[in-house]
Amino acid sequence: MNRSREKAASELFAALYPRLAGWVRRLVDDDETAHEIASEAFTRLWARWTAVAEPRGFLYVTAANLVRDHWRKLERERRAVRRATTEAAVTPPPEQADPSVRLLVQSLPERLRVPILLHYYADMPIREVSVLTGRKEGTVKADLHTARELLRAHLRRSLDHTL
Amino acid sequence: MITHSDDGPEYDPDDPLTVIMRPPAEYLGAPPGRYEAIRRGASRRRMLRAAAGAAVTCGVAALIVLPLRLTASEGHGSPTVPLAPPPASSPSTPPHRPATPEPSSPDPSQDRRTAETGAAPTTTPTRRPAANDRPSPSASAAETVTRVPSMQPSAARTGTASTPSAADRRR
Repeated sequence: MNRSREKAASELFAALYPRLAGWVRRLVDDDETAHEIASEAFTRLWARWTAVAEPRGFLYVTAANLVRDHWRKLERERRAVRRATTEAAVTPPPEQADPSVRLLVQSLPERLRVPILLHYYADMPIREVSVLTGRKEGTVKADLHTARELLRAHLRRSLDHTL
Repeated sequence: MITHSDDGPEYDPDDPLTVIMRPPAEYLGAPPGRYEAIRRGASRRRMLRAAAGAAVTCGVAALIVLPLRLTASEGHGSPTVPLAPPPASSPSTPPHRPATPEPSSPDPSQDRRTAETGAAPTTTPTRRPAANDRPSPSASAAETVTRVPSMQPSAARTGTASTPSAADRRR
């Protein structure tokens, strides 16, 4: 029993960790932070292993929340530095490697972000997403559609700014 | 609400949105020993959570049980109440109250002390008033009279009045 659980955990780690950590790295642009966030997501999963029905979805949603917290922390630090230094010598942080994924996590409301992450990033079919989120399949489809529309509008705006 | 299919014509490959939706091709391998470290951390966290849960449960149980036990121990102290007058003879007590107090105990402070210290001296005050009021009837006679108060009201009054008066004063 214990050995089989350990084996399942090991297989899950081998299958999901590299992909999750890679996705996080695209968001935070730092290997060490990406490893920290992915590890924390796995730690939280295994700390409540029996209570989690769908580990893949849990990992992605947890990682997305941790990434959001990381961004907030960075923003607070940036503001503090700006306040502390009178000179405007502080250069703005470089734009992260893939702003589109960051946009996905940052701009969407929680209700729309979770189905997008589960469906597109965790490769979960709509039926599984509906079971995990407790929403009807039709509602999940509508949420995905709304999220796509929102993202499209965001992208259009950012493209207009760059041109 | 109108639902839309999530892989329809609105999802064409030229759309910049497709780039966002495309699952990440990047992989970041776990450093050596990371798996074991995560497992250790998770089990430590699980144990902490279990300990915290047990502590909270014990605290709640103590909060529930302690007041109950305290009230129960107060309830054990109450058996001194039977010293009060028996309900059967209650109608006869009021008229004789003023008659009995003086002879029952010459020194009330002593009586109080004895009542506080122990239950053994309780027999002496009950006998005394009976002897002062009525010399002829014995204690056993008084007891028999109290059982049937309607037959001999005077005996019942004296017999029963002596006991409650002593008890009252002890209080």
